[in-house]
Amino acid sequence: MKEVKALYLKELSELDGVSGDEERVRNFIEEKIKDKVDSLKVDVLGNLIAFKKGTRSNRKFVLAAHMDEVGFMVTNIEDDGTLSFGPVGGVDPRVVVGKHVRINGELPGVIGYKAIHLQKKDELLASPKFENLRVHIGARSKEEASRKVELGDYISFATDFRQENSRATGKAFDDRAGCAVLMEVIEQEQRYEDDLYFAFLVQEEPGLRGSAVLFEQVCPDLALVIEGTTAGDDPGLPEHQWATRLGDGPAITFMHRGYVVNKKIYESILRVAQKYDIKHQPKRRTAGGTDAARLAKTGGGVPAGVISVPARYIHSPLSMIDLGDFENTVKLVSKILEEGEGFAR
Amino acid sequence: MIDLIQELTESYGPSGREEEVQKVVLKYLEGHIDGHKFDPVGNLLVWKRGRDDKEVLLDAHIDEIGLVVTNIDDKGFLRVEPVGGVSPYHYVGQRVKFPKATGVVYYEGETPEEQKKNLSNLTFDNLFVDIGAGDRSEAESLVSIGTFGVYDSYFYKNGNYLTSKSMDDRIGCAVLVEVFRNLKDPRHTVIGSFSVQEEIGLVGAFVSAYSFSPQICVAVDVTDSADHPKGLKRHAMALGKGPAIKIKDKMSISHRKVVELLKQAAQKANVPYQKEVLTFGGTNAAALQRTKEGIPSATLSIPTRYVHSPSETVSLNDVEGAVKLLVSFVDLELEL
Amino acid sequence: MDTVSLLKCLSSADSPSGYEDEVLKVIEENIKPYVDSVRKHKMNALIAVKNGQNGKKLGIFAHADEIGFVIAKLEERGFLRVEPIGGIDPKVVISQRIKIFTKQGVATGVVGFLPPHLQKDDQKDKVPDYNDIYVDVSCSPLSEAVSVGDICVIEGRCASLGDRFSGKALDNRASCAALIMAASKLEIIKNRADVYFIFSSQEEIAGPGAVSVAYELGLDEAIVVDVTHGNEHVPPMPPIKISEGPVLAVGPVINREFYKALCDVAKRHGVRTQIEPTPGRSHTDTDEVQLTRSGIKTALVSIPLMYMHTPVELVDPRDVEETARLLALASTVNL
Repeated sequence: MKEVKALYLKELSELDGVSGDEERVRNFIEEKIKDKVDSLKVDVLGNLIAFKKGTRSNRKFVLAAHMDEVGFMVTNIEDDGTLSFGPVGGVDPRVVVGKHVRINGELPGVIGYKAIHLQKKDELLASPKFENLRVHIGARSKEEASRKVELGDYISFATDFRQENSRATGKAFDDRAGCAVLMEVIEQEQRYEDDLYFAFLVQEEPGLRGSAVLFEQVCPDLALVIEGTTAGDDPGLPEHQWATRLGDGPAITFMHRGYVVNKKIYESILRVAQKYDIKHQPKRRTAGGTDAARLAKTGGGVPAGVISVPARYIHSPLSMIDLGDFENTVKLVSKILEEGEGFAR
Repeated sequence: MIDLIQELTESYGPSGREEEVQKVVLKYLEGHIDGHKFDPVGNLLVWKRGRDDKEVLLDAHIDEIGLVVTNIDDKGFLRVEPVGGVSPYHYVGQRVKFPKATGVVYYEGETPEEQKKNLSNLTFDNLFVDIGAGDRSEAESLVSIGTFGVYDSYFYKNGNYLTSKSMDDRIGCAVLVEVFRNLKDPRHTVIGSFSVQEEIGLVGAFVSAYSFSPQICVAVDVTDSADHPKGLKRHAMALGKGPAIKIKDKMSISHRKVVELLKQAAQKANVPYQKEVLTFGGTNAAALQRTKEGIPSATLSIPTRYVHSPSETVSLNDVEGAVKLLVSFVDLELEL
Repeated sequence: MDTVSLLKCLSSADSPSGYEDEVLKVIEENIKPYVDSVRKHKMNALIAVKNGQNGKKLGIFAHADEIGFVIAKLEERGFLRVEPIGGIDPKVVISQRIKIFTKQGVATGVVGFLPPHLQKDDQKDKVPDYNDIYVDVSCSPLSEAVSVGDICVIEGRCASLGDRFSGKALDNRASCAALIMAASKLEIIKNRADVYFIFSSQEEIAGPGAVSVAYELGLDEAIVVDVTHGNEHVPPMPPIKISEGPVLAVGPVINREFYKALCDVAKRHGVRTQIEPTPGRSHTDTDEVQLTRSGIKTALVSIPLMYMHTPVELVDPRDVEETARLLALASTVNL
């Protein structure tokens, strides 16, 4: 296996791709992988599906990660030239104030907040609400703003990626970390027994939407969803309520919202991790959902496993992952594929 | 039918881990079906071929609500999270059964005031499970993170009233099994779907009908029975008035033509029935009706007291009525 | 038929979710002269087809069901308990006449309210929920015929208010009217693709009425027509007004290319439109239709409406007409 270098993590994290506006991310991925897979296509919803034929071709194995990140949409251009906006996917308004954003991938803006000096006591303690927040793009009037921006334009956080001390910080690790893992596996340029479909999906955040059209196109036998999952291992929560711990390796899910992972698949993942001595941990909370829940319910049904790179502070502009966890996730997925038809038989 | 009901309700089968109960179902169906298969997500599908080319699918979900282990501490105590709509109140002071261990569920409280506060605001975060392990490694020899548990409860009979855990929906499974055992030379092909993971989101039922082409689907599930002190005031359902033909719940409206056919079947078989409007919840019919280009679906319900508690109670009379009704139903022309 | 008469006709059909037969009959009678074929779908939808030229399939959806009630329990002396079908604020049910469809005919009951003289102090500002509300059917000769499971609607009454129109079930009969009128315009505006006018069921209870038809037909594109809140400014959304034309939604559940094409064709033909940014789900049939099979390019067009889900919903018939014009023009769009 080639050495894992977290090759594309920085670019993937910094690209803007809010749910419904994934084109920039998709174009980047397509460009990098197109010569390393047998074929690829973009479907009606915008999913990128890359195909690698297997040496035995008896099973269709989907490896899925979603390209979209949470963000916002321009909902109104106000008279003073500022923009009203609403969340796309689940964003807590409390993480949004005092941040830099980008509209349509290029136009810079800021989300400010009333100065502390000017806030009354009850305002200081009140949570911000989206209806009171505005993006400022430097325009003086509605007319000036309307020349640069339209209703429905997408807004994303503009966080820069940093890598040091074996950790990476930046935006959108949910789920660009998953996309990076898949790209890394594709980089290996190895051939495996099963037919592989690398599915880079759209619109997971607003309700597992992109994955809903996968069955009809691929008819998979099984799937692995690679996610960037919540850690919660910070001082705010007692230890027994942490979902995962940074540094303890990829998190293997046995159950999440709307789905209990197929027993055979779950146990097979654990077996592979143990066999190759790959650091791993169970995901300890059943909250949150992934495309696995959707795959189980479409068409004839697809049993799926879920492996995640633990990430702190997801759904905020600044999350954190451990690069060792990232490498171990790539390793685990590669070893699973190397098991060939023996995996989850 | 009592033995069947007892064995099914006492079996272990939380959502996602239903294999054991499915084996029990197959045991009772042996010799009464033409074939069976497990679909990709684990639903058990059985069938008996009919004389014509029409298909009817009857569904009952085979999973039950439960708990799953999410943490094991240094002293061997466990933390759990709910699987399906479980109220923590139904577990306090009760036992939970894991495949290799039984545990006591209790709540935290470092002072009497804290105990009282926790008891009135019970959540799974202030509960723990004691499986009698001295430390973490002893506990790990009995359970792991990701081990599922169910109510430790047993079946008993009080005259016509049957009580056990997981009447929801083992009673529906029992009805289905009994229907197959009573089918002789059926008119249409009858498919039995013993579907998985209903309690966490009707998961299995979204796909059970996919590989078939039924004209109609009928889900057999439990419904509330309000005939106990200060039961829900807008519910008309009661034990002993017969199986309930569901008109509506919060997740679907029964297809009105299937409702008419169910009524017809009841009249033909001389089975008294009640009509049901449930003001919360949903059944697999909501998922089955969405298969492909749609399948007209309805639910036939068994009125049940104390749903989702360890002591769900049904009337044998209603259960037997449901069997008779369905045997009559699958013999109708089924023109929509 | 003129717009107001068509709206009156559609509004007066009583067809809550799951029981759409009455209105589907009315729709069939009205659309038949303008299309090549009409048929019923097993999930209670009406499909009317106008053949086109290029073999592609455009589906235009409008749900035909309305909100209503079902009798949940019979109490003594002719009092009934109800459960709503769809989202009905219990406050608007007070002091309404309720039509109950019994097996022997329509029994009309009343939802009463305790007069102020008899109210206790703690009842004075309290708002009832369905556990407090009764339908009193003792005033009907058919009160004995009422049984659990009978379907009901609030008795409707139409009113022309200036040049606006108020009636029950304009969600979504206003859209049904727009579809019928769009079909009539296709005599003149030649549609490229085969246009399927689909009057679907069970939208008010999030049922599979529309997706079942979408699955069967194998559509290339779909436009869902529904209503949206007009004259009800909800920040951070832009203000959407009655009488200012059909509303085009934009967001992840809408195909952006299709949306832009509709904006374009509207502009070129002088159809005034408004824009509704939709950052999440639209809570219309669009959300699920988009995800049918391998995905369908969907758009959402809405008619602005006030007082949604009350018996006095209000629209401007000219918005309905302009929506019809936009839909007919949409059939000329080439994606």
